[in-house]
Amino acid sequence: MRILSVTLLAFVLAACASSTTGSAPTGAPDPAVSQPASDEQAAGDDQAASTETDADQPPQDRNPHITGDMAASARVTDIQLSPSPIVLTRGETILVEGHLTDADGNQVRGARWGIGAGGPVEIESIKDSIPDSYLFRGVSPGSTEIYVVLPKPTEQGVEWNRIASFDVIVNDWPVARIDVDEPAFGTYAGSVFGLKARAITTRETEHATAKVLWSSSNPEIVSVTPDGIATFRTAGQAVLTASAEGFDGSLSVDVKPNPVRSVHLEADASEVRTGDVVHLSPTVSGSGNRPLNDVNVSYSISAVDGPADGAEVFGDGTFVANSPGAYRVIMTAGGQSATAVVEAAPREAHRVSQLVGRGAVSHVTTSDLWVFQGQDGRDYAYTGTHAQGGGERMYAWDVTDASSPVLTDSVVVDARVVNDVKVNADASWAMITREGASSRRNGIIVLDLADPAHPTIIAELTDSLTAGIHNVWINGDVVYAVNDGTSAMHIIEMVDPANPRHIGRWEVRPGDQNKSLHDVWAENGLAYLSYWDDGLIILDVGDGIKGGTPRKPKFVSQYQYRTYQPEEFGNTHTAYRYGDYVFTGDEIFGCGDCVNGPRGYIHVVDVSDIENPKQVARYEVPEAGAHNIWVEDGLLYIAYYQGGLRVVDVSGELRGDLYKQGREVAWFQSAGEEGEAIVPNAPLAWGPQPHKGNVFMSDMNSGLWVIQVEPPERPLVP
Amino acid sequence: MDRGVRLRNLVVFGCAGWVLTLGTASTTAAPLGGGGREKTSAAPGHVGADTLYAGARMPAADYWVFVANESSDLVSLVRFGPDGATVEDDIPVGIMPADLDGAHGVRVSPDGRRVFVSLAHGTPFGKLWSYDTADRELADSVSVGLFPATIAFTPDGGMAFVVNFNLHGNLVPSSVSAIFVPEMTEMARIETCIKPHGSRVNHAGTRHYSVCVGDDYLIEISVDRLEVSRAVKLTPGSERVLARPGEASTGSGGGPVCGPTWATPSFDDAHVYVACNKHGEVLELDAEDLTVKRRFQTGKGPYNLDVTSDGRLLLATNKGAQSVSIFDLVTGEEVARVPTTQPITHGVVVSADDRYAFVSNEAIGATRGTVDVIDLDSLQLVASTEVHYQPGGIDIWKSEPAR
Repeated sequence: MRILSVTLLAFVLAACASSTTGSAPTGAPDPAVSQPASDEQAAGDDQAASTETDADQPPQDRNPHITGDMAASARVTDIQLSPSPIVLTRGETILVEGHLTDADGNQVRGARWGIGAGGPVEIESIKDSIPDSYLFRGVSPGSTEIYVVLPKPTEQGVEWNRIASFDVIVNDWPVARIDVDEPAFGTYAGSVFGLKARAITTRETEHATAKVLWSSSNPEIVSVTPDGIATFRTAGQAVLTASAEGFDGSLSVDVKPNPVRSVHLEADASEVRTGDVVHLSPTVSGSGNRPLNDVNVSYSISAVDGPADGAEVFGDGTFVANSPGAYRVIMTAGGQSATAVVEAAPREAHRVSQLVGRGAVSHVTTSDLWVFQGQDGRDYAYTGTHAQGGGERMYAWDVTDASSPVLTDSVVVDARVVNDVKVNADASWAMITREGASSRRNGIIVLDLADPAHPTIIAELTDSLTAGIHNVWINGDVVYAVNDGTSAMHIIEMVDPANPRHIGRWEVRPGDQNKSLHDVWAENGLAYLSYWDDGLIILDVGDGIKGGTPRKPKFVSQYQYRTYQPEEFGNTHTAYRYGDYVFTGDEIFGCGDCVNGPRGYIHVVDVSDIENPKQVARYEVPEAGAHNIWVEDGLLYIAYYQGGLRVVDVSGELRGDLYKQGREVAWFQSAGEEGEAIVPNAPLAWGPQPHKGNVFMSDMNSGLWVIQVEPPERPLVP
Repeated sequence: MDRGVRLRNLVVFGCAGWVLTLGTASTTAAPLGGGGREKTSAAPGHVGADTLYAGARMPAADYWVFVANESSDLVSLVRFGPDGATVEDDIPVGIMPADLDGAHGVRVSPDGRRVFVSLAHGTPFGKLWSYDTADRELADSVSVGLFPATIAFTPDGGMAFVVNFNLHGNLVPSSVSAIFVPEMTEMARIETCIKPHGSRVNHAGTRHYSVCVGDDYLIEISVDRLEVSRAVKLTPGSERVLARPGEASTGSGGGPVCGPTWATPSFDDAHVYVACNKHGEVLELDAEDLTVKRRFQTGKGPYNLDVTSDGRLLLATNKGAQSVSIFDLVTGEEVARVPTTQPITHGVVVSADDRYAFVSNEAIGATRGTVDVIDLDSLQLVASTEVHYQPGGIDIWKSEPAR
């Protein structure tokens, strides 16, 4: 077994730049002199004697600061590891021994090895049986750094120093075979398309890091790039080989003569607006006009009159223009080409937005809202309150006259955040959430709306809900509550609103605490859970597709996505179903681009195949971050934090980049003036809801806004 | 400048320095009963009323204290000097303004250069953040476990321990994270028991003490080995030592529970004090054999503890009784029970010179919390200042000649 000496980083007894300096006092503290906290008192008197302890003695538990091992660390001049380098396999456990020696070659003990949590390897000290040795367990493929730390005695106490670091590599399970897919298209001379192969491990998983490289037995027949892009040059036979980690997979290819005699391309529309999806219908024919269905077709765009990057065409034969202009779409198959021209006019979606009314909240931050017609026939908006200023209440506004919201009452609870407000279908009761209760028993509050201008508390529920409840959704006579602590969707029976009852919960990956549920929205028997890094999760809560009921949901499907690199997944924060799409929004703070606040955007997920959701489009305001959304009558309303209210035309089929396509209908900056906002002149839009021709929106910094988006000059054409 | 409702205190004096504090939404409040005076500070970050108390003996030095406001995501820097206590600065913490990041614990490094803050709420795991004390700029951070709370340092400041309270989740054993501070690297996540909280390292730097609110344990961790060395099941009246939590534990069977919330060693490391939050007492255990030597009856809900460096006094905040119990450790007598200015009395820390104790009071709802100052000679409240919402973790940064 090879042994490698590890470079020492901070030696010998030299001041380590990354160390901290102890400050154990030696005398009575001077009240006028800076002193550390009291834990360090009365600890220094034994120090001098302790520095003389023998390096070979075991730690002196009662001796302040200095143990024998610690004293010895002053003389460490070399560290050797066995094995070295440290390379192990996922799932494997190996023993790694460390040998610390001083200048005389004497062994020094007492080092601690540390590693960041959640990495590819876990380590466990077994120093009781083998000094300075650790068991390394490979958790996942990757590499990481291990720190070796030693205490060092000083005049003032003990310093902890990092004296060395070394790399650890965890390899995936060994490759067992290479699986090669059959070609996706016919192997005709003149075709060019990609091949797929995967390295499969001994555990039947796809290898995480193995790079599959392609080669051809006869490049004159078929040439192939290392990444698998094959060019079928002429008729003949060849063997294509995919190799990784010493394993091969092969694909015998019989390249046939190019059968294509003619190609034709049709578009289902030639004059469209930007953002309209055009479907392309390619026809590939062989001799005698025989249709050929297995010939690879590729597309490209040439701008005739418009920006070069003003349109997109996708592999499935859909085209969408982002900018007005004329575009020639070119299809190629079997070495022949055909074109179709599409002219895209400006979408002219823009409409005027204007302020209708205001319900300024200037002493506390505002959270979510709900707008409804009360049982008394009048219209109301309820708004929650957030932490800044003390989020202990829900405000009730009479908005029958939308131009003049009237604050009628408020409900005060023991909380610091009332994040969410929801009203049931017949407006007989409402629910608000609590976070930051002084008792730390949060849960939910039920309000009776017999007099909606003056809602009254009729119940609270904290059982199983002591953690903060961040969001709720009312689904008939049950409520789904997002529990901050369990990261589960808790189910509350509301048959008798005055006696809510906790009846169960649903969570992804039960038993795994590493997850975070943020919101839930249910409609027509399906619930859409915004599960942060776990993405969008769809549950059957009565649709029947998986046998779920409102009280016993069943999993339907999941869609995870990556928003920004290097994050592995996006922060799925909100979701709203409309037609064949679920609009999901991110909430991203603290990112590299978050120079003026949050980032994140709207992902448009096609759920027409509910068990296989896929993203087809996006809407991203580059300089702001998305928050809550609502979709109604072909319009997507987004409270876009510092970007204010954004209204987006989502009528018809959606594909590509909605922002670039000019689908934005209107925007409104909800900037409250001095005296009318807790933070003036700074929009921080939270949640929108259209109601009776107006858009009501809460803004965290300034309260309630009522906005009107003027009707379009012509109706939307799906 | 904060534009929130200014909630002020009506301060009513009783006998022997007892103070009754009434939360009110008045904007014109003034201390009642004479003797008190109220001043308004124009200092940056100032949020509310400061109160001095009649007859208070004010210090010649300035004492600087950090306190974490859990429901405001702010860490306040409070200065207590000859003119009383006032907020000098607020450090915004956390990255999720639309959610509470939950600044819970706060601890100044032994060298005074950094202040460490535990951010309880994450997605899902919390973080330990550090800031330069001088300019209050973020210096570093590390991910830890679920709902990190109390922070404790080894005497040299090289290792920090953060209890992962896991307050809101399932009642499952949680852990203590051991952080190598210079690299802000988690060296170990040591599983202990349910809802670990209230921790300190002994002065020798060899033992870390924490408790578990959820299943009644005192946990001793070997700092050298970064593993649990002993545990004490704290069932009132039948406390017993175990090798580790859960071992041979019979539970309390519905009987009385300790509900421990804090553990701290004595000045000489000879004893460990444990606050039994649900049993109204503080236990004194022998640090060698971990047997109970004395019991100190407190007010309702003793929560946090601190001990003077001369070993004279033990202080316990009474979370359920809006007061601080002060015990003479020589006689074992409760020599004072000092009412605080707001309810949900939370943290307590004693100045290095043993002259003053600083106490955080969470208050309720939109009522701002306070930091109170107790004179440890007169055993009376001498000053108070409003901070933000739900102040909890509190620690002293430094004292220096008054400016």
